[in-house]
Amino acid sequence: MGQIMNLKKMKSTSELAAETAAGTTSMHHPLNAPVKDAIVVNDLLKRFPGKHSVNALEEISLAIKEREFVSILGPSGCGKSTLLRIVAGLVPYNSGELLVNGLPVTAPRAEIGVVFQTSNMLPWLTVEKNVALGAQLRKLPEAEIAPKIRDLIKMLGLSGFEKNYPHELSGGMRQRASIGQILALDPTILLMDEPFGALDALTRDLLNVELLRIWQERMQTVLLVTHSIQEAVFLSDRVLVMSSRPGRITHDIKIDLPRPRLPENIKGNPRYGQYIAEISRIMGVY
Amino acid sequence: MRRWIETIIFWGALALIWEYGVAALGIRRYLLPPLSAVVIAGWDARDMVLSDAWVTLVEVLTGFFSAVIGGVLLGVAIHFSAFTRRTLYPFITALQSMPKIALAPLMIVWFGYGFASKVAATFMFAFFPVVIATLGGLSGVAANLDEHFRALGASRWDTFWRLHVPAALPSFIDGIKISMPLAVIGAIVGEFIGAENGLGHLMTLATANAKTDLMFAAILVITLLATFLYWMVELASCLVWWRGKVV
Repeated sequence: MGQIMNLKKMKSTSELAAETAAGTTSMHHPLNAPVKDAIVVNDLLKRFPGKHSVNALEEISLAIKEREFVSILGPSGCGKSTLLRIVAGLVPYNSGELLVNGLPVTAPRAEIGVVFQTSNMLPWLTVEKNVALGAQLRKLPEAEIAPKIRDLIKMLGLSGFEKNYPHELSGGMRQRASIGQILALDPTILLMDEPFGALDALTRDLLNVELLRIWQERMQTVLLVTHSIQEAVFLSDRVLVMSSRPGRITHDIKIDLPRPRLPENIKGNPRYGQYIAEISRIMGVY
Repeated sequence: MRRWIETIIFWGALALIWEYGVAALGIRRYLLPPLSAVVIAGWDARDMVLSDAWVTLVEVLTGFFSAVIGGVLLGVAIHFSAFTRRTLYPFITALQSMPKIALAPLMIVWFGYGFASKVAATFMFAFFPVVIATLGGLSGVAANLDEHFRALGASRWDTFWRLHVPAALPSFIDGIKISMPLAVIGAIVGEFIGAENGLGHLMTLATANAKTDLMFAAILVITLLATFLYWMVELASCLVWWRGKVV
């Protein structure tokens, strides 16, 4: 068993080495990097309960630097959402190591904000109250919450909709409000599980640009799970590609595109197209 | 406006058919008296009808609100405690499957001829839908919202009051809508079996004295009472306006 595992490991490592040689990907950060690691995962294993189950996640190792924007791509069912939930402290893992800001994760933490695919707005609360909900549940002082919510609503282009209810908003606006709810917690780490997956392509592109603007202003560490290669390349510093059954990280691709990124100076860039082509080839969708 | 006109015309037509239909079809008065006779009988006995209606109303409301409080408490207990779910829940389900009408005489034996036995019968009829509706509402809370609250580090208390309660309210109100008419049935059944006053007692009294018109008057008043109470619940359910608003 151990031998088989080793063989598997060697294979993925050699693949990575090949990619590095091609000059399009890089291994993990250099050892004496000036910035600290925000998220460190070492040889993490997640088994789903059940007798004959395949490991959901196997030999997951990754390191995400502070203020780095990393995306995870992979086929449906590869465990990318599970990995994100494990990092969020929502799902337990079987073995390995998981450190966020140097501390092991055992439960959801205040500095980790999670944005899900569904907007998770409460239908009985107004937009304003929904945006404030997270801060209230985290017991931030009321006097601090009100001005913060006002600023966030303005920043997210929701002004004038404060007193509206979520069902009166478009899907895109609801998702903005959910992002606002999480930003109100001032998380240093933002985990996003296909946050724009349920939106139409146009809204998605708009929100991508907005997400970059927020990230550039606030500079959180972002780990984004997505199934859109374009989205991953456009937004990220690095793209991790996963395989399924068992879920493993097979590729770690550095996206060397200039920042600040705007659609007009990125989407025409030939390297943007090259990254998309390469990742599509890796994922076998090309 | 138009729907009110339609409603009024419909009810007016029904009243006219009753009033003149019985004579036209030659139905005997002791089987089905015309509407006017029913109204007159009720008016002549108005003091008795009103005081009986008041008695029934108080019984219904007392039994109903006890059933709501008890039902909610039990529903919450079953939802949150595995112990209650394994013990009390099957017990209550077994009790529910017994014909409650058959248990009503027992209420008289246990609680006497007065107010208490009617409240007990009302409670018995109205209780179960509240339990089921509360339970359904609580277990129907979307899993993604539960996870979201967990990710936000919400306390159990906050998760209950800010998520579970409002999310369960639409289902709970549906249960109340079933419970309210059942509560009226419970009180009337209790009064049938043994009572000194109340609209159910008035009906048995009128039947015993072959006063079919007064019996129909009692039926009309019970119907009005039950309808009024139901619409009060319907009105209260407007407060839970987020029903079906999945976002």
